Amino acid sequence: MKINTEDLHLSYGAQEILKGISIQSKEKEFVGLIGPNGSGKSTLLKCIYRTLRPDQGAVYLDGKELSTIRVKDSARKLAVVAQHNHYNFEFTVQEIVMMGRSPHKKALERDNAGDYAIVKEALQAVGMEKFADRNFSTLSGGEQQRVILARALAQQTPCLILDEPTNHLDITHQLQLMRIVKELNVTVISAVHDLNIAAMFCDRIYALKDGRIAGEGTPESLLTPEFIREIYDVEAEVVKDKKGQIHILFVE
Amino acid sequence: MKRGAMKTKTYGILILGLSAALILSLFTAVLFGNADLSFQDVYRVIGYEVFHTESLSAYGQGAVHDVVWQIRLPRVLMAAAVGTGLSVCGVVMQAVVKNPLADPYVLGVSSGAYLGAAASILLGIGSVFGDQGMGIMAFFGALAASFGVLFISGIGGRTSAGKLILAGMAVSTVCSAFANFLIYISQNREATTQISYWSMGSLATADWDNVPVVLPVMIVTTLIFWTQSRKLNLMLLGDETAVTLGTDLHRVRIVYLILSSLMVGTAVCAAGMIGFVGLIIPHAVRMCLGTDHKRLIPVSALTGAVFLIWADVACRVILDYAELPIGILVSLIGAPCFIYLMIRRSYGFGGGEA
Repeated sequence: MKINTEDLHLSYGAQEILKGISIQSKEKEFVGLIGPNGSGKSTLLKCIYRTLRPDQGAVYLDGKELSTIRVKDSARKLAVVAQHNHYNFEFTVQEIVMMGRSPHKKALERDNAGDYAIVKEALQAVGMEKFADRNFSTLSGGEQQRVILARALAQQTPCLILDEPTNHLDITHQLQLMRIVKELNVTVISAVHDLNIAAMFCDRIYALKDGRIAGEGTPESLLTPEFIREIYDVEAEVVKDKKGQIHILFVE
Repeated sequence: MKRGAMKTKTYGILILGLSAALILSLFTAVLFGNADLSFQDVYRVIGYEVFHTESLSAYGQGAVHDVVWQIRLPRVLMAAAVGTGLSVCGVVMQAVVKNPLADPYVLGVSSGAYLGAAASILLGIGSVFGDQGMGIMAFFGALAASFGVLFISGIGGRTSAGKLILAGMAVSTVCSAFANFLIYISQNREATTQISYWSMGSLATADWDNVPVVLPVMIVTTLIFWTQSRKLNLMLLGDETAVTLGTDLHRVRIVYLILSSLMVGTAVCAAGMIGFVGLIIPHAVRMCLGTDHKRLIPVSALTGAVFLIWADVACRVILDYAELPIGILVSLIGAPCFIYLMIRRSYGFGGGEA
């Protein structure tokens, strides 16, 4: 599953948020999006997962233009873990995850044993199987985030879109969540806040600033002290540990 | 913390129990009324009409027959139909506007109907419909108001839950202002009383002309909404999430609104305005069963039917000399029950932290 965007433009009123963004992802590649607040990461992702329609440009799934694909079909290809998940009504964890099966269901089809097995497996993958009967609203922010990931897993799509999925999570679960996603071995496009997490998990990173792409490359080639200063306006040092993994230290 | 998830078996028992309660209620409720009839007589009349048994042919006519067959039975069936319709409508409206405080009248349906009724009585519009003129005008008023709300909320982009509520309020205000204006300038005391009586709701007009229309409408629309439970669930997660889960709700929402306006319009036409049923029944059921519409819709439908049957019985027997308007009674019983449930279950209106 490949996702490409071509020259996306989008404005809210007079303010242009995306000023011509083109990204390419390869089969089973983990693509990270970094950039300061308001740089357009979420907006770009929303164009990809169809909540926003770009004013100009297009999104392609495996070369097919997104707007020509039925919503139900695109939901079988893309699953989304978005940022805000507050619901006005009480659902149990199981019910929420079961909704991940809906793009695979015909109008009057019932949930069958297969669906329940998939839901159970998804909850086990994120370590939330004991919470299946709990009300979603009684969970902590981090637990809710893991349930939403389980819903995306239950969707069984060849591609996953994540919008800062590790917000609200403690370090154990940040790493756990990213590992789960990495091990799925599907195409991933994820906005990432934490540069170290991005460096650990992403195959390739796009850096956004002011609605434009400011740089692109592997974590090692892209995340240099100079580049971090240019994007975030902070001083940083980049060091390598024994295994050769890079770490970014922020300095005065 | 397991209150949201009821085991399938328990749910099955609940559905069976409620169906039994409904059937039992239908048969018991016909025993109550102003005329003092023995229960043998009542069932003999019904037995004769249903099976046309020769031995019961004595019950095929006369005062007892008319009271049971022409007055009581249609009325009980109408109560069940209207109770079902209003409850299911409440469930759907709450999902459509994503607000647990919505009721079937949220789209300005009630004031639209009110205006229709006022126009019919005071201006004589709709007199071509004869006796049913007021009800039918109320029906058209309700439909016109809800289409108005739909139209207004669709101006300048996609209809959203918030826009629907605001447009509903605006249309409501305009309609009731107009209706009140008509009432104010008219010197017709009798007509004014008639309107205010109508606005309190009554099932007394039920007969074999309107029950065969209202009952199927309610049953069919309820079944339709039951098949839509997956989409109704997704609706509560919001349009954005629903798109990522493969359902574009824009068109679906409009279809649901039109269907539910039809339901409420029919209910209003048949029984005037009966508030609160559409709010309290869905809530009470949701408190016990959780939010999954696959269960919420059938259970609400059955509960609503049983509830309104008994509310109507109470209306018939509480006062010796007259009938209590059912709208008043439902609010009087409903509100305290609702508060009790709310306090006991520390129910947060689904808001979690609320």
